[in-house]
Amino acid sequence: MDKSRVKLKVDNISQSYVVGDEVLDAILNVSFDVYDNEFLVILGPGNCGKTVLLNVIGGLEKPTGGKLYLDGEEIVGSDKRISMVFQELALMPWKTVMENVEFGLQIEGVDKKTRREIAQKYIDLVQLTGFEKSYPSQLSGGMKQRVGIARAYTSNPEILLMDEPFGQLDAQTRYSMQEEIQKIWQQEKRTILFVTNNIEEAIYLGDRIILMSKSPGKIKEIYDIDLPRPRNSMDPEFLAIRKEVSENTDLAL
Amino acid sequence: MIKDKMKNMNEEEKRRYRLERLYKILPVISIFLLILLWSTVAAKSDFPSPKETCDRLMLLFENPIKGKNIFGHTAESLIRISIALLFNWTFGIAFGILIGWNKKAKALFTPLFNGFRAVPPLAWIPLITIWFGTGEFSKIMIVIFGSLASVVVNTQAGMLNVDQLYIDVGTSFNANERQKLFQIAIPSALDAIFAGIRTSTSAAWMVVLAAEMLGSESGVGFLIVRGMDAMDMPLVLAAMIVIGLVGALLAIITQYLERLMCPWTRVESN
Ligand SMILES: Nc1ncnc2c1ncn2[C@@H]1O[C@H](COP(=O)(O)OP(=O)(O)OP(=O)(O)O)[C@@H](O)[C@H]1O
Ligand SMILES: [Mg+2]
Repeated sequence: MDKSRVKLKVDNISQSYVVGDEVLDAILNVSFDVYDNEFLVILGPGNCGKTVLLNVIGGLEKPTGGKLYLDGEEIVGSDKRISMVFQELALMPWKTVMENVEFGLQIEGVDKKTRREIAQKYIDLVQLTGFEKSYPSQLSGGMKQRVGIARAYTSNPEILLMDEPFGQLDAQTRYSMQEEIQKIWQQEKRTILFVTNNIEEAIYLGDRIILMSKSPGKIKEIYDIDLPRPRNSMDPEFLAIRKEVSENTDLAL
Repeated sequence: MIKDKMKNMNEEEKRRYRLERLYKILPVISIFLLILLWSTVAAKSDFPSPKETCDRLMLLFENPIKGKNIFGHTAESLIRISIALLFNWTFGIAFGILIGWNKKAKALFTPLFNGFRAVPPLAWIPLITIWFGTGEFSKIMIVIFGSLASVVVNTQAGMLNVDQLYIDVGTSFNANERQKLFQIAIPSALDAIFAGIRTSTSAAWMVVLAAEMLGSESGVGFLIVRGMDAMDMPLVLAAMIVIGLVGALLAIITQYLERLMCPWTRVESN
């Protein structure tokens, strides 16, 4: 992580919805910097607005207030340099693994041969070699999540947004996917914004952790995690941080 | 413990295997019983027996009606529905996509279309006959009117139900509206579109018979009416059986086509 280079600046972002005749603030005045090649974890209880925040950064929703700057320039709407791994996977059931992974390149209009080559590289990277022709419904939860990750990487983004990508996996698969995402990040250096509601996962993966309060989502605290990687969740320092973060975390509603 | 479990599983598997076999045999038994019942009834009344019916069908080859044997008449009917369906699949799917995807088109056309749909297909026959006479064109028109709605309704439903999540994936990759339509919305509606293709095919087969029964010189619908007029019960029965078989065959073909075009649905059902 290079703290001297701000990759993405989130400046005073708020998002509200009108529900019935009330206004619901999902996130309120959220500001933080994301450094180049950083693994930044956004940690918060359920319903605190984590998905809303990522959707705003990914350009899927227009915020009611605030601005976003990528490499110092303001961005509006979805930007090619930002890719998303969706919380609900969002793999297209009518496409094979290969077709799902190459989707971003297909949209860009990259010719078939080139995009297959690039997609293959990331399919191999997430260890799905041999499953190119399978349909999502034939894959396990962990494998589907890998497809989502490969799809996000394939369009060669500078920033990856990952919304609780391991939330629906069993504990065992979750641990191995955590290890793996860390390896992928070390091999293919990108800036990652990783959303989770799991404290251990946050400390295991994050260079920094942004802790959000419960709704309306605001930034409560930012932690620097300076432990060497790969981290050990039994390590006394790990446990100390965990205790600190845990005591500071709001309970979900 | 583990051994017990395995034994249980084996029992369970055996039971399932036996059931599977039973499920395969039962349909054969039921058809056999039907033919048996039919033969018994026929032997005790003047209802034609299976053999007489079959012979009547064969006789058509030596003694064609209006110059055509059973294959000739079936082909006539099939050509009529093919032309009508080709038209419906082209324009019905396009129209369904339009009113399922474009909010303005939906608001504009849905009331008109619902009005059209509310009139049962057969009610169109007199009007079409007055307009176009009783020729080939008007028969095809009747079939078009009779099977258009199911194509449009299913296509529209499929397009209205496109999951926002997939559209979001498109947005996140900067897809334009055209790409969202052709690469996300239509493919995701494809199984609904195929449901429309299947129902429109069976509807067309039903309506073409009605059209042929109301004045025609060819087709299976004509054969059945000819049988009725001539009090030729074996001919009526033979035509009925052929109509049933062709109907079943059409259902199988469209289903096969769907599996070919939507391979992922086959995967899911496995
Ligand atoms: N389009 C919308 N319209 C109305 N309310 C919304 C909308 N999107 C989100 N919300 C509300 O905003 C709040 C935050 O939702 P969000 O999905 O961001 O939570 P989250 O932190 O991602 O939760 P989880 O951990 O369960 O995924 C919720 O109360 C939700 O109901
Ligand atoms: Mg969420």
